[in-house]
Amino acid sequence: MSTDNLFKAAPAKRILGRIAPENFIGRSEALREIAALAPSTSPRRGLLVHAAPAAGASELLRQAYDKLFRQRGGASPIYFAFTRHEQTIAAAARRFLHTFLSQLVAHRRGDHSFVNAPPALRDLIDLADPSDYEWVERLVLTYERARDGSDELALVRLCFSAPVLAAARGARTVVMLDEIQNIEKLRGEVELGNEIAQVSMHGDVPFVLCGLRRGLLDELSGGNAPHRFDGFGTIHLEGLNEADARTLVERLAFTERVAINDETRDLVVQLFGGSPFYIASFMYAAHRDQISLTSFLECQRVYVDELLGGRINRRFNSILEEITPSHTTRRALVRLLHEAATNAGGKSPVEAWRRRLELEPDELYPLMFALHVRELASFNATFMEIGAESLWRDYLRASYRLQVAVEPRALVVADTLVETLKRAPQTMARHYRRAAALNLRELLARFDAQRVAASLLHYDRFSRIYRGVESEEIEIGLDAETDLIRLPQVVHAASCASFHPPMLLVGDEERCAVAHGFDAMPYTDANEIVWLTAEIDSKLEAGRAVTEVWCERLTQVGHSCGFKRFKLWLVAPEGFSAEASELLSERDAFSSSRKQLELLTARLSPEATEVGATGADAPDEFEMVIPMGSDTELIAAHTVEQIARRLDFPAEAINQIKTALIEACINAAEHSLSPDRKIYQRFRLESDKLVVTVSSRGLIVPSPTNAGTNGSDAREENNGRRGWGLKLIRTLMDEVEFERVDDGTRLRMTKYLRR
Amino acid sequence: MVDSHDRSPVRSARSGDIAVIYASDYLNKLSGERIERECRAHLGAGCRALVVDFKNTGLVNSIGVSIMLGVIDAAERAHAPLVFSNVNSQAAQLFEILGLTLHAALAADEHAALRMLSDLNVAHPQRVPVGKHT
Repeated sequence: MSTDNLFKAAPAKRILGRIAPENFIGRSEALREIAALAPSTSPRRGLLVHAAPAAGASELLRQAYDKLFRQRGGASPIYFAFTRHEQTIAAAARRFLHTFLSQLVAHRRGDHSFVNAPPALRDLIDLADPSDYEWVERLVLTYERARDGSDELALVRLCFSAPVLAAARGARTVVMLDEIQNIEKLRGEVELGNEIAQVSMHGDVPFVLCGLRRGLLDELSGGNAPHRFDGFGTIHLEGLNEADARTLVERLAFTERVAINDETRDLVVQLFGGSPFYIASFMYAAHRDQISLTSFLECQRVYVDELLGGRINRRFNSILEEITPSHTTRRALVRLLHEAATNAGGKSPVEAWRRRLELEPDELYPLMFALHVRELASFNATFMEIGAESLWRDYLRASYRLQVAVEPRALVVADTLVETLKRAPQTMARHYRRAAALNLRELLARFDAQRVAASLLHYDRFSRIYRGVESEEIEIGLDAETDLIRLPQVVHAASCASFHPPMLLVGDEERCAVAHGFDAMPYTDANEIVWLTAEIDSKLEAGRAVTEVWCERLTQVGHSCGFKRFKLWLVAPEGFSAEASELLSERDAFSSSRKQLELLTARLSPEATEVGATGADAPDEFEMVIPMGSDTELIAAHTVEQIARRLDFPAEAINQIKTALIEACINAAEHSLSPDRKIYQRFRLESDKLVVTVSSRGLIVPSPTNAGTNGSDAREENNGRRGWGLKLIRTLMDEVEFERVDDGTRLRMTKYLRR
Repeated sequence: MVDSHDRSPVRSARSGDIAVIYASDYLNKLSGERIERECRAHLGAGCRALVVDFKNTGLVNSIGVSIMLGVIDAAERAHAPLVFSNVNSQAAQLFEILGLTLHAALAADEHAALRMLSDLNVAHPQRVPVGKHT
């Protein structure tokens, strides 16, 4: 991967930002929304930022601060975070006022040195801009009197209304309050969250109120009459999407001088679920220990180091320490969490927690709520469900073994490394299956009562009319069809497993969906309908047996969930056999092939495709990358013909090499759920032989002997007419090696020159 | 040289009760399905023998060949003899390895294929000798 050309922009000055602005990925829209609060003409009063844990919310506000600070002459940015270490509401209020004045003076003087090293409050009076001098002095003097008094409410109101006072004197600010969930544990009589909500709603100052999404509104709520936050926008901050997470890994690898490759980059993204905090911690650790991340083993070593002793370990430790300061209770909590995590479903009753932790309700519920807010567990009134994030569960398992079972550290490290290394290919496999799935859920959600050609949902009809017909002609045919189906207006779509968890045992979650909707107006019981859809793995047309199994499964889901009226829709890549189509017709079920689905998707929302590129290396070694599909194997075949001619291979041998290469390409395209849909080829000429290596990334589709869940029955109906590729290659070439590598497969074929 | 983006439909011709289907430059899934479709159409229209001519076919792959097995099945069900003509050495080797030559005859060219079929009584079809070029 070449990253050298990606990062040529001059670095911008960092003030509060912890990472370089060019490495702050995937948050440009959120940044823009915050920056848009600065002008006095902003239509918004503020923003509520609901953040997932470790989603980088603090960094977003810090980057926003730096961005606003650089915009000289505009509103002054103020960043203030409620810390875990603060004890009282009064202390937080005092620190807020000091922070506010320091940052305001810093911005108005254009001197950011005060931001990280604030002068004493009295000194700020002298440092203030002449136009601010008078009100700053008065505010500081008033504050000193209130600070020494006993009226906590007056002190809190004075401090947190300072931005309103400043605005009234012409000093507009954008106040960003971070980690609002930490207010909960501050001691004092005042409802600080409510006070902040009041100021932010009624003053002429834009506020950004940021906190963990499960706790933000609770902290800001005003008792029995929750605030409405009229005029506020909302940002939901979650993990980065995969593309942005990949870019972040690449950029951090570049700036931290850590070697990576595409495979390990994608593994890192999957390991940390797109969390910028964890990804950054991981990459910094690799940099610190000077470890190159070019294999899964190296990645997992760094992962285990971080899990057991790095920043990631410290983050979880500090959360647990904050929730349970007592060492004994914490140890019991780790035991309880670990045991609950290993239960089926990760659930345990609240009563068991009370007994095991030996805590009174007034101690127990804040503990459980704190775990809930941090999404380490979900508190559901009668039971606790442990968070499913693999990083958290790995931490729990290791902590339990070290702290509770008191196992030797070396053993825990070794076991964790071995286990996570074994899991890495599974992690990637799941990712590939997810990426390769047809995304039925998303497609269903786009139905929106549109009308489409009926043949798109009846495979037998489609096959009869369009088999062997070019796409353009199919499009024309579909346009001309008069038999149309009105798709339902889908109001909710989710995976089957969300409704009926046993479906997880028989297939991937992404491959089976349930959509609730209405097939006509108005919204009445009579028009309510549920579509139950599943994607079946099958290299050929799916046979009757597997089709029947899936019809039964979906029908069972429908009955179990009490759906009054439901429709089945099965999708198989190559469609359905005549016998299966007959069955589907009997069941009044819809059926589509991948081709039909593509056409349907295009009709609901057109998409574009991309073509790959080629390249070359040394004179005796050639490399080429081709995209999968569209007969691109012919390009490879012509190329290898030219290369083989250089070594004077006879025509028959050249034909054999070409055929073997075509088969290898087809194999790569058919048998892998490749994330990049590319086939990597290397041709090496030696004095007496040509070595051709064909690689592809992605999951290897299981062979019939170790078939998976969705397609085992279908493959048995193969009639032995497919899967000849490797057999052919072995017949045509002199040496063939097929191996599974970290993240995909590699096929090395050798043909010797016989003069 | 094979044109990888040939979009022309399968050509076919009729000679009495015999249909000749001309395969395109690359026998793959799509072109195989086109041939199959054309063969089935001719059989449905009363054809009693089929010739699939590979004069223009430079390359074949195993998926295309597997579809030819479907053509063989369809022809057998219709009791229609089937001959593959003009099969180049690369394709012939694949046909051999994948067992097609056990079920269909190979002819050197289209005329040889038609001669082979006319030597048979197509009105009273019988199995064409298989596996050898005539």
